[in-house]
Parts: sequence; structure tokens; C-alpha cells
Amino acid sequence: MSTLTKEEAIIRSSGEAARAFTDWYYTQLNDGKPIASCYVNSNAKYLAASHPPADICINGTVVATPQEWDSLLDQQRLIPFTQQKGKVKYEVEGFDVHVINKDYRFAAPAEIQAATDPKLMQRTEDARIMMVVTVAGSVTYGGKEKGTPPKQHFSDVFVLVPNWDYVTRPKFKGHKRYLVASHTYRAY
Amino acid sequence: MAPPTGPRAGTGRAPPRGPRATGGGGGIQKRRANPRTDRDGDVSMDAPAGGSGKVGSTSAARGRGSKDARGGRGAVNSRTSSRVVQNLQNYVNGGPVGKTQSNMATLKIYGMANSKGTGNRDGGLRNLLTFLERKASKEKPVTIGKSLLDGDCVWITVRKDHAPDVLRLNGFSYAGAPLTITETNERMPRPEDKISKDAAETKQKLVAVLARRYNADMKLLDLSSLGTDATLSSMGTFNSKDLAEKAFKVLVVLASQQYKTAAEKREGIQAISLASNGLNDVMQVFTLATSLPDIKRLDLSSNNLDSLSKIAKWQHRFQHLEELHLTGNPITAQPNFAAELIKWFPSLQNINGQIVRSPQEVDEALKGMHPTPLPQFPSNLRDGEANVASIFVQAFFPMFDTDRARLAAEFYDDDSWFSIQAIANSGRNLPWKTYLKYSRNVHKLGEKNPATVQRLFTGGSLIADMWKALPSTRHPSMENPGAWLIDCHTFPNLADPTGHGFATGLLITVNGQFEESDTTENLYGKRTFTRTFILGPSKPSNPPPAHPYRVISDQLTLHDWTPAETPAVQAPVANQVPQVPVANPVPPAGPVVLDEVTKNQLIQEVMKRTGMTPEYSELCLSGTANWNFELALKSFEEQRANLPPTAFMNAV
Repeated sequence: MSTLTKEEAIIRSSGEAARAFTDWYYTQLNDGKPIASCYVNSNAKYLAASHPPADICINGTVVATPQEWDSLLDQQRLIPFTQQKGKVKYEVEGFDVHVINKDYRFAAPAEIQAATDPKLMQRTEDARIMMVVTVAGSVTYGGKEKGTPPKQHFSDVFVLVPNWDYVTRPKFKGHKRYLVASHTYRAY
Repeated sequence: MAPPTGPRAGTGRAPPRGPRATGGGGGIQKRRANPRTDRDGDVSMDAPAGGSGKVGSTSAARGRGSKDARGGRGAVNSRTSSRVVQNLQNYVNGGPVGKTQSNMATLKIYGMANSKGTGNRDGGLRNLLTFLERKASKEKPVTIGKSLLDGDCVWITVRKDHAPDVLRLNGFSYAGAPLTITETNERMPRPEDKISKDAAETKQKLVAVLARRYNADMKLLDLSSLGTDATLSSMGTFNSKDLAEKAFKVLVVLASQQYKTAAEKREGIQAISLASNGLNDVMQVFTLATSLPDIKRLDLSSNNLDSLSKIAKWQHRFQHLEELHLTGNPITAQPNFAAELIKWFPSLQNINGQIVRSPQEVDEALKGMHPTPLPQFPSNLRDGEANVASIFVQAFFPMFDTDRARLAAEFYDDDSWFSIQAIANSGRNLPWKTYLKYSRNVHKLGEKNPATVQRLFTGGSLIADMWKALPSTRHPSMENPGAWLIDCHTFPNLADPTGHGFATGLLITVNGQFEESDTTENLYGKRTFTRTFILGPSKPSNPPPAHPYRVISDQLTLHDWTPAETPAVQAPVANQVPQVPVANPVPPAGPVVLDEVTKNQLIQEVMKRTGMTPEYSELCLSGTANWNFELALKSFEEQRANLPPTAFMNAV
């Protein structure tokens, strides 16, 4: 296989990152599981570097914390008449991703910030990226119940930044590769 | 379709043949809930999902692939058994045999009855078929289609071109007995052909009971006092202490079968009476909820239901149930039973003749039967004091419609990225042809696809070229806030264009619609779009950049047009030809109505850019520019030499 140029490697890397992120995120959503852990808010390195909390804007309202978004999602799953938890299914029909900072070093380990080690910098070249992901798809409210469940189109826009815990320890399974610094959601 | 009818005259076969699909063409699961007839045609008294297994083996539909058959020999694995069910259903529901088997040959095999293989549960059929497939597959793999064990004879179907391979086995010895294999033009018997006379009689009697208990005017099926029904008691099958319960199950199933479609059934049976059946828990008659889920009136009076928990199995079933009678049950002595019951049945309005809920309340309850989408709020623009996003968007979309080349030159630089993704899921409104070759839908393409690189357009001039190839568009007016959902906020840590430190970025997400006219394909229509912009500071340059900010990233997502709740009325776009870059873009026709806040924002921006006083800035905007920011700047440049010194603030 032909080798990729640096530019192509970064583009490829952003596509893989967006795939991994959307796979995880919408599976969690469809399984009714929490997603708060994917935002920068809970990451020690970003907290220590005083990164502002992730900007989360849901249907035009600012949501203060990822936990609040989780509880909004729970509220959305509720079937009002039975007061039981129903199913809200997100189906991704497409995503696109652009790298918007090809040398992102905020909150990075000191040796990356200082860029003193050329080998390390080369190795992390396609990981030190900030990107914007636009996801489009459909969301179906309910399934098992009688009648036609309401269905909407949704768009999700995420700004993803590197999870330095992953960059420094890529073999550790529990780490997400990227974290959400900004999230804009609309369903209509 | 007719309501339950009496027995048909002079019939040698039972009129309803086999399990009938209620909805027509449903899946395996669905039919499982339906009644089964065993080989004698009796309605199985097992629980609906149980099934005796007899059906699968006697009618002997069987695994198709020889590989599977070999792998699963002796034991019915789940894949095979589900295929067995499928084959059976194809068989039972199949149309005329000649039609479905036009390229199939039917063979009759005698001799197995004398073999040692008949001791098995399926009469040895399975092993025989495996044997035949293995022996016949000498030159090419031969698979057997349908099969049926009928007394001494085994019927099979195989593809016509495979028939010689099987016929070659004529005279082979199988499990100690020689086989005789012949091709036949006879039709393979259907399982219900073998229905016994007794079973047919039983069924006729039951259908007669149904007919007698059906009131066509009230669309009522009266299943009350089943325990004292003379006909039922006289029938040996039901001569047991669970008479009412058993008879109920069979009758409900038979009643459902009288209708071809769910709609006919819903129309035909709207009310059920189960009065005076000694019920102490609805569990005993639970299948009513699955067989006749759409009934509107239900009479349970004079039973022994003594608490809500005895009705709880039906909670949230019967979504259309409007009227419920419980008189003569101990439960009616409980204080809040009615208030609880209306929480269980959304359409319930009348309990024991008392109105318990209004039609409006029923509408409300029915709306709440699904999870509800989160509320929708208008645009959320948090773009700082300079209102950069508002001004950018105001300038961007009119210019995208009229002068894309200039737009790209003004707001994009050599590092700007642009791509389109088409969510081409139906195209029923407008085909996707024009966009598909550009679509950078990474989800669909796959992240390793070279197209993800090729379809990423970098740099203002390349982007402008690409935009030329796109159909022309007309976005709704910015003054129609209902047509736009724009969310925007700032975020940190973009690369600073000077190469030092971080810069603040602006994320703008625009959801809206536009009209499209594709003159090359002659296609006109509407599309819904999401457009995501990342704006960041412009790079220092000489001459200075047109704007202090530039587009770093522009992602356009297109999907099918979905009518908005209040669709904006728009004139057709057909005659617009903005494809060629226009030197002097024509401002949109008609006076532009802007709110004061937006006007002030525009005035402030013009002041900043030109150094003019507020009065002159407003004049500049309200003149021929018609509140188009870019046109105002243009006219300023043209008129600059003619302006008096008092027009500028620093001159005062």
C-alpha cells in the first residue's frame, strides 16, 4: 500500500476518529446509557489547564453540564402516558469531519507542548488534531408501542480535541481517543 | 369480509385452511402468535408460542442447503428449525403450486417405510433427505426444496435440472430397504388436505357457536357464560373444568381467522363480552389483547376480579378501548379503581356507564404514548459583542445565491476547507445526481476511501470552482426567522494565524432550507441543509484581508426537504441564472424589512469598516444597497471620493 502524505495521514486519522466517536456515542444513546464521560469536563488534564466546560447547545438552549444533557436524554426517553422508559433510536446517515487545528497542543503533556522531541512530535502528528464533525441522521421516538412513532431529522456538530491520556497511553483500553469540547444539537 | 359465519354446506374439508396470517405477509414471529393446527387439523391448545413441533415435522418442510442438512443431521438446530417454519409457511400460504414450482420437479419416493429409519420422531424423513442430498450431490450440489411424509410415500421437490441426479438413486438401498423414486405430475399434498373428519366437524361446531354469539349490528362478539354453553359442553374436547378458559382461546383465535386483514377485523369486532365467566384474573383470557387488540368496548361484568392487580396483565394494552364494564366484580368496591384504570388505557372514557374522561383528555393521553422530542427553541447566537456571526451569515447566504466567486474570494483563504455530504436516503423530492460525485459522506464512503481526500476542497479558488458546478440556490430571506435555526458560540484553542499561541474560534451551525434550480439537469425543488462554519482570525497579509476573520472550515450537509411546520411561501426559482459570476449582483427585489437590532448591528459594522458617522453609515446601507452589507461597502468604495469630510467620524 502506498504511503500517505502527512496531509493525507491527518485526514485519514480524522475520519477514523470521527468514526470511533460516532460509533460509541450513538450506541450509548440507543442503549440508553450515559454519555457524559466523552466531554472535556471530566478530564483531569483539561481541568488542570483550565479549559472551559464543553459548550453544549441542545435545540437552541445551553445545557450547563454533560450530566444535564444525560438527564434531558432520559426525559426524552420517557413515555408520558405510561411513565415508562421508551426507546429513542438515533440512526446515523452520514458524517463529515474537518481538521481545524493541525497542531493542537492545549493541555498536552509538557514534552509535547515544548516540542523538544522530534520523534515524539512525529509520532503524535496525526493525533494532535482538533476537528469538527457534522453528523446527520434520523431519530425515531418509540418503537414497541402502537401507532406510528414520531420521527425527526437530527444534526449534531461536535468539536473534538485529543484525549492526552490516550495519546500518552494508547494501549490503555478505557481511554477515549478524543473528547468533546463543543456540541450543538438540533432535531426537527 | 364477513363476520363469523355458520358451517359451510357439503364440505369435505374444513373451510379455514391452516393458520392464516392476520396481517398478510408478516414475519415468522408474527405467525407464531397465531393458532396452529396439528396434523389432524385440531386447533392446538398449547400456549400460542409453544407449538407441538408436529407441524414442522409432519408437513416436513426442511432445511434447504445440503451443507446445513449435514451439519445439523440428527438434531434440529435453531437455524434449521426457523427455516423449517419458514418453509412451512411458504408452503401453507403459497399460491398455486404450479406457479411457485415452475422450475421445480416433484418426486415421489417409496420404500422408506420398510427401512430401519422410521423409528425417529419425524418418521426418519430428515435422515432420508440428508442421505438423498449426499448421494445425489456427486457432480454438483443438489438441494431438496419442499418435502412431505405422507404415509408410505415421501414427496420432495428439487430443481428440474437436479431431478436426474436424484432419480439416478432409484433402487438404492437406504437403511436396509430399497428406494423407489419416480417423478410425478401430481401436486404435493398440503398438510390441511389430511385434516381429519373429526377435526373438521369440531371446527364447524365452533364456527357455528361463533356465528350464534356474534351480533352484527353491535359488532359484538358475546363470549359471556361460556361455561354453560350447551354446544360447548356437549363437545368432548372441552369437557373439563377449564371449559370457559379453553373455549375462549379457541373461539378468539377462530374469530380472528374469519377476517383477512387487521383492518377488517378491527371493523368487524369492536366489542367483546366476557361477562359471567368466573374469571379471577385476566391472565386467563390474556390472549384477547393479542388476538383482538383494537376492540373499543369490553364487558367483564359478573366475574371475580377483586383487585387492580388482577387486571394488571392488560395494562397499556387495548389502546382503543373506550368503554369497560366491571359491574358485579369485587374490584368495584375499591375506592380509586376507576382513576387507576384510566392511567392504563389511554382511550378509556366510560367505566360502568360513568364518563371518566373527556375526548380532549383522551387525545392528550394518546399523544403521550410515545417518547416526546425535546422542545425546539429559536436560534441561539452567542457570537460576542461584535456580532460577527450575525453579520457573517447575513452576508454569506445572499452572496452564495448570487455571487459565489466573490464570496469565496472574500471569506476563504488558501487553507480553508469545504466539503459537501449528501444524505441521499430517498431523493423522492429531488434527485441527488448532481451532488453524489462530490459527496464526502465519510460514514458511507469509509474513512480509508481515497475519495475522502479527493472530495475535500482546499483553498478559496478551488472552492469557488467547485461551487460553480453546483446548482444555483435561493435561500429564504434572513428576515424570516422561522426559516432558520442558527446556533453559534465561540470556542478556544484554534491555531493563531501568526503562529504563536491560540486563537478564539467561532462555530456557526445553520439549519435551514433552500430552493434549488439545476439548469443542466432541469431539476427544481427544495432541500434542507445543515451548514457548519468554523471562523477564525484572518492571516496577516498585504493588502489586509477583506475581513478580520476567515472561514477555516465549511461543511454543507444536504438532506431531503421536509416541510417545515409553517412553510415559507416562496416564488419559484426557475428563471434565476446566477451560475455565471455576476459582476454587479442585483440586490433582492422588494424592500427589505429588518428589525432595529439587526439594522444597528449592520450600521455599527459599516462604521467600523469605513470610519463613517452613524448617519452616513445608515444612508449607505439604506440606499441602493438595500441593507446588504457587502453592497453597502461596495457603494462606499465607489462613492468615497465624493463624500464630504463630515461623513467621517474622525473629521468631526
